[in-house]
Amino acid sequence: MSKNLKKNLMAYVMVLPAFLVVILTVAYPIVTAVIQSFQNSETGDFTLANYTYFFTDKAQRNNLMYTLYIVAVTVVTAIAVAYLLALYLRFIKSRISKTIGMLYLLPRFVPSMCAVYAMITIIRDSGLINRIGQLLGVDINMGMMYHASGIITMNLWFNIPFAAMMIAAGLSGIPDSIIEAASDVGAGKLRIFWNMILPLSLKDVVVAATFVFMSNVSSFTTPYLMGGNAPKMLGISLYDQFNRYMDYNRSAALSVIMFLICSVSAAVYIYSNLKENDWEK
Amino acid sequence: MFKMLNPRRFYHAVGRRKFLEFVLLAVFVLFFYGPLLNMLMLAFANEYNVPHVLPEQWGIEWWGYVFGQESLVSSMIQSFIVAIATTIISMVFCIPAAYSIARFKYRGRKIFMLSFLLTNAFPKLGIYTSIAVLFYKYGLMGTYPGVIIIHMINSMMFMVWLPSNAFRNVHRQQEEAARDVGAGPIRTFFKVTFPMAMPGIAVATLYTFLGSMEEAQGTMLVGLARIQTMPVAMYGIVLDSSAVQIGAVFAILLIIPSAVMIILMRKFIGPEAIAGGFKMK
Repeated sequence: MSKNLKKNLMAYVMVLPAFLVVILTVAYPIVTAVIQSFQNSETGDFTLANYTYFFTDKAQRNNLMYTLYIVAVTVVTAIAVAYLLALYLRFIKSRISKTIGMLYLLPRFVPSMCAVYAMITIIRDSGLINRIGQLLGVDINMGMMYHASGIITMNLWFNIPFAAMMIAAGLSGIPDSIIEAASDVGAGKLRIFWNMILPLSLKDVVVAATFVFMSNVSSFTTPYLMGGNAPKMLGISLYDQFNRYMDYNRSAALSVIMFLICSVSAAVYIYSNLKENDWEK
Repeated sequence: MFKMLNPRRFYHAVGRRKFLEFVLLAVFVLFFYGPLLNMLMLAFANEYNVPHVLPEQWGIEWWGYVFGQESLVSSMIQSFIVAIATTIISMVFCIPAAYSIARFKYRGRKIFMLSFLLTNAFPKLGIYTSIAVLFYKYGLMGTYPGVIIIHMINSMMFMVWLPSNAFRNVHRQQEEAARDVGAGPIRTFFKVTFPMAMPGIAVATLYTFLGSMEEAQGTMLVGLARIQTMPVAMYGIVLDSSAVQIGAVFAILLIIPSAVMIILMRKFIGPEAIAGGFKMK
């Protein structure tokens, strides 16, 4: 008993410093932000006005819809492409798949603003694509800068390798032997995929989708460097509320709104994680 | 050799599957590496006017320009100070916590792990703005400790989840074997557990360092222009500068630390190790 107590005590001592840092730098600021979001900026009285502003003001509503649109397109496209890429990397063994299997790990480690800048040098009006077009005698105007398509392209650049990596890690956990066993008893490729591979990798798809979703809802660098003036993504809108209009209560309210959007996917994530733990017991 | 450049001939020579794989590789490399390579080219272009695809004059003129700017050079030094300090401090806080979570079962473990998900779900800017209020109170605005705390927030999830996953994969029996032949708990940890968990820890360290090297939003907010890291300077360059080459040179400089770290840690970087940072077990 006393040995157990000593062990537990040590466990708490080791975890406590990090826990305090999280309380001070994450939990406490979030709580104050939530409180602030319900306060009137002048009197400090309770109000819902900070929230209603973002749903009644036309420009703000557009920002919200614009963000959700970009996030939805990004998540669906990135996950679909990443899944195919991960399947390819897992089941086709060739020199090319090995090469891609190495190359796709690196974009994750390129500082985001460098990647955005690099993409800008390609797609801007005097960028590489336009110049190549002129060489061939056509005037290609991508119109991707300051437009949703530019942001989505960049999001795909960031998220396809990431999602593919997450899914590939899951797929590599499926042993060849069970797939061979299934095919020995006569299951077709499609059936093996549908009944075995897809269910076994679904959890990793959820994890990947969650993080793609959350990182894009509050993304800042890409829309800051590539986005237009109206509509804006929520991350930029939040930055404006804070930096340009100095409206701390509204920026707190917008933070909470973004958090609520993210928590939908966080809930799915937690649910799928807890479920697995039950099953493992 | 040259007749291979004709796609039709190439198709018939290598077969359908190989052909499709080559197309995949080409698309992959163009999309993910094309922009970066184009930027690399721009960094060595003394003259680059529309409509030329390749620089009219190659050279390192702009490198001289960047290194001639005192503020840019000092931003590099500040970036390294902040990144190294952030990495070391978050290791000191997080590695014990990760070990504790991996090895002991106690109340609140799950909640503690979940609290890191919070840092990803709540918009970073919302957290930064609330912290800024605290920082003003305690005189941390525009100081190194302030900026380092902000950078730590970003990396704590990886620094706990990844190593904790890695520790869990070290079999308890191996630790017990070391204890049986007379090694103390500390010696066991450093001689057995730590080396075996190294891949996870290495990737977490890599993430922390690179995350700190590229953090801009929070640094802008808390650094108050007194602490200006490379990414902060880079924002200014991208948005202000007339010559695309300055941004290219600076972006390459920003990528170099990542490249060096990746080469040093290449044997640890793999889908499984990286994916561990996003799964809560």
